[in-house]
Amino acid sequence: MKTEGTALAQGLIRCHDCGSLTRQTAKPLVCKICGNHLHARLPNSFQRTLALLISGYALYIPANIFPIMTVSRLGVGEPHTIVGGIIELIHSDMIPIAILVFVASVLVPLLKLLGISLLLLNVYCRWQINARLWTVIYRIIAFVGRWSMLDIFMISILVSLVDLGGVSQVIAGPAATAFAAVVVLTMFAAKSFDPRLIWDNQRSL
Amino acid sequence: MNKIPFDACPECDLLINPALPVVGEKAHCPRCGYLLQRPRKESIDRTFALSVAGLIVMFPANLLPLVGIKFLSNTRDGTLWSGVISLFAEDMWAVAILVFLSSILFPVLNIVLSLLISGHLYFNRPNPHLTAWMRWLQHIDEWAMLEIYALSIIVACVKLASMAELKFGFGLYAFIALLVITAMLASSMDQYLFWQRIDQLNRKNRHEN
Repeated sequence: MKTEGTALAQGLIRCHDCGSLTRQTAKPLVCKICGNHLHARLPNSFQRTLALLISGYALYIPANIFPIMTVSRLGVGEPHTIVGGIIELIHSDMIPIAILVFVASVLVPLLKLLGISLLLLNVYCRWQINARLWTVIYRIIAFVGRWSMLDIFMISILVSLVDLGGVSQVIAGPAATAFAAVVVLTMFAAKSFDPRLIWDNQRSL
Repeated sequence: MNKIPFDACPECDLLINPALPVVGEKAHCPRCGYLLQRPRKESIDRTFALSVAGLIVMFPANLLPLVGIKFLSNTRDGTLWSGVISLFAEDMWAVAILVFLSSILFPVLNIVLSLLISGHLYFNRPNPHLTAWMRWLQHIDEWAMLEIYALSIIVACVKLASMAELKFGFGLYAFIALLVITAMLASSMDQYLFWQRIDQLNRKNRHEN
């Protein structure tokens, strides 16, 4: 046996968790080391990622339309959307924080949704592309997604601290749930996407 | 069962001869550049020591107030839990559960599982649950978000600084220590070595029985 080509081409399956190789003909098809069920590629990777991605897009809309939190001062409520909160930060001269929040809660989720869509298109249309570059894009998407939780954590801190009865209060809005769902769904979508699919389609390797 | 003497890249499935890097070297996949192995100095000992330290710091970080505000003679202290409780009280249970999982439960599980695994490896004790623990640890890894929580504390403080007086509790120092320990834990743990050692222990155990 030579070490040419992929493990699958040689009839070997890599365990997702512990990384050991097993012959495809082994019965039952379980990893000898960790007892995990074996799959050559993540099962239904394309369909799962697509389903999670569509749900992510759908929830991205309410996440941006509805207020993410309501700040009330002396009984007067002032609802903020995600973008509204950033604009207010700019007005109060907190530009670095505004940029940080903009990147974490607007740019990252949007680029993530678009990035995963492109990855899926890539696999679906069997584009002959620079697979190494697209693997790097996949890695960036998988790494960066969790940073969108910044806004959710910030709301939880503000809600617990700014609760001074009638004087001042922060209440979380409906967009918080939608936004949290977008973050979780896109994280699951990145996790269920199997980057080996990009490589499987390349003819010239 | 003869072991197959190859490795495969998890991201491009290229079949490769196992690289045997020494401490300080890194083994990358020649085709896609994935970081395959990165041996660490005294990986098991350090992981064990760090997870014991994490276990100690975990309690003050979770129980003591992180940040407090003072506003017109009203004071409020915030712990890791109070955000979850306030969200729950406002009927935002989905967000509350997510915050609870990613800022409290998974970071704690991360440390407990690291302690259990590295402890068993350190004392050479086989345990039938080792493989399951190791798998859970790998799966919860990206859902433990202490570093993001730390950044959001900073953002929240900057937002509040103009309207109220802030004071930092002892819990915050414990939280920062926990954050540093968790980061060091992630970099000291050599998963390739850990799986090898778990396999060795299990084989030895089966042999003896």
